[in-house]
Amino acid sequence: MSESAGQAIAIRDVTKTYKSGALDVQALAGVSFEIAPGDYVAIMGPSGSGKSTLMNLIGCLDRPTSGSYRLDGIDVATLDDDALAAIRLKKLGFVFQGFNLLARTNAVKNVALPLFYAGVGRREREAAAQRVLAEVGLADRGAHKPSELSGGQQQRVAIARALVNNPAVLLADEPTGNLDSQTSEEIMALFGQLNAAGRTVIMVTHDPETARHAGRVISLRDGRIVADGPPAPEGPSQESPVP
Amino acid sequence: MAQFFTEAAGVLLGHRTRSLLTILGLIVGVAAVIAISVLGKGMAGAVNGVLGSLDDHSFFIFPNARQGDFSRAAFDYRDVERARRLIPNIVVAFPAGNVPRIVTFGHHRARLAISDDTNVKLAAVPLLYGRYLSADEVATSAHVCVLTNLAYQRLFPEGGDPVGESVRFADRRYVVVGVEGRPTQGILPVNFGGDISIPYTTYEAEYLRSRPVLSARFIVADPDRMAETEKAVIAYFKVAKAGRSEYQTFDRRSFSTVIDGIFAGLTLVVAMIGAVSLLVAGIGIMNIMLVSVTERTREIGVRKAIGATRFQVLLQFFIEALLLSLTGCGIGLVLGLAIGALVDRFALVAISGVVPSIPWLQSVGIAVGFATLVTLVFGTYPAYRAARLDPIEALRYE
Repeated sequence: MSESAGQAIAIRDVTKTYKSGALDVQALAGVSFEIAPGDYVAIMGPSGSGKSTLMNLIGCLDRPTSGSYRLDGIDVATLDDDALAAIRLKKLGFVFQGFNLLARTNAVKNVALPLFYAGVGRREREAAAQRVLAEVGLADRGAHKPSELSGGQQQRVAIARALVNNPAVLLADEPTGNLDSQTSEEIMALFGQLNAAGRTVIMVTHDPETARHAGRVISLRDGRIVADGPPAPEGPSQESPVP
Repeated sequence: MAQFFTEAAGVLLGHRTRSLLTILGLIVGVAAVIAISVLGKGMAGAVNGVLGSLDDHSFFIFPNARQGDFSRAAFDYRDVERARRLIPNIVVAFPAGNVPRIVTFGHHRARLAISDDTNVKLAAVPLLYGRYLSADEVATSAHVCVLTNLAYQRLFPEGGDPVGESVRFADRRYVVVGVEGRPTQGILPVNFGGDISIPYTTYEAEYLRSRPVLSARFIVADPDRMAETEKAVIAYFKVAKAGRSEYQTFDRRSFSTVIDGIFAGLTLVVAMIGAVSLLVAGIGIMNIMLVSVTERTREIGVRKAIGATRFQVLLQFFIEALLLSLTGCGIGLVLGLAIGALVDRFALVAISGVVPSIPWLQSVGIAVGFATLVTLVFGTYPAYRAARLDPIEALRYE
């Protein structure tokens, strides 16, 4: 892994403009920040703040209109679709709100899917999948299909899938949005463990409780960063402090 | 790659009813085309079995059916003999035909057709007993005969070897020298001779006695020059009848031309059935693949987010379409071969006696060709649609 830039993520003056009919909608109006390897960052903001757009850019699902984006030392702002797919495969792990597991496929095969696209042989990738499943506490659930697992277990499988290719950055989009508070705590604890083990974690959430688990919170509003710092202390105020 | 196939198979098995209904058109189309091609091959075999008894050294001449006075076109031995002497390439020429007689052996009687031995030269029916007429017997107008299987059964219902026995027609006795085996009765009622063959010299002396006939047989030395010989014979007979009668000839080649024409028509029909079924089945598969892509938009988004390239997504759906097509064509192949073989077995073998060969390679070729074509033409577009889905929108799809 190249450490030439010294940063897991370096974003400079990134804008994103969508064409919506005749109208140009600016989702990001110039955003800059860096995330160091091993950071645990939450991206917060109300809907329409541009946090989903930022997430998609960080996740290499989309390209910025202007500005630069270096992921793990690679300039990814101008890559074509297939090159972006390769970056997603090698450098990123996605965890979604709705788990997004393949329904007909058991846990091991779900987890092994990224390795399949990387061209790893069946035996090897299923062994790796089994190993990662054990890491997330599901060593004995490999043969189960998603419908046979609880919501928390499904999200653990999804996390294992995100980890199986040993990504530089783990990206989570509202990872506890579909879970009850008890299970949410377990999943957040798991993210905490992964971060403690050196994994870079970026999480998009609208919930300050969830964001409090991160070491750093980037708050967005109207396509701009309005706050960037440690999470707000627990208290009655739900508003992020403006520095 | 194998994983792509296992996964596609899993998806298709997950929608068993839908998959089956999708490929139904393909099954029926391929089965129809293969059954008809098997049958066509069987028919060709049967016709060749029949024509096998007509060698390529012989042709017949007879009056053209489209003329006013058919009987005026009749000719006799002298006409035929003159033609043989005048026209090169003719080895044997003889008025054709037969005469019916009551034939007896002991207390068995049967009304049978007596004919000359030209038939023996034309037909390649294996002998059950004895031998064919010898050149010596022909030269000396001997009173010997070869029985067809039919005559043998009528006169010798108890069976056994009749060689050396004498049969009697009217006041003449003929010594049996051979018995023909069961002939291949073709799907076309072609009978070149009578029931009992005697030397043509004997036949001429005893029965023909220069009476006019309506047909003659010619055996040529060089079959490659048959066409010009036939033309010369037709021209000769027209001149002999002062141009008032029309004649035509008939040989294996002209017969084959007719049969080839029939098969060409059949092939065209099969090709059209094939094209229509291909189109209908292909549209069905494309439709269901488009539904499948839409249903699984979210899944496609996840796969892309995880790092699947466009090509890998394309391949996944392409292989699903390929598996559908292959399964349909495979079932159609088995079904078509079974139907074709059954009809061959119970219809063609019964009438022609020829067991046709099943065109395995051709049938498998048709099935695989259909599957490939359907997949390429109708499977590519849905797969392409899946491949170019935007992952962000696909992930948002409910």
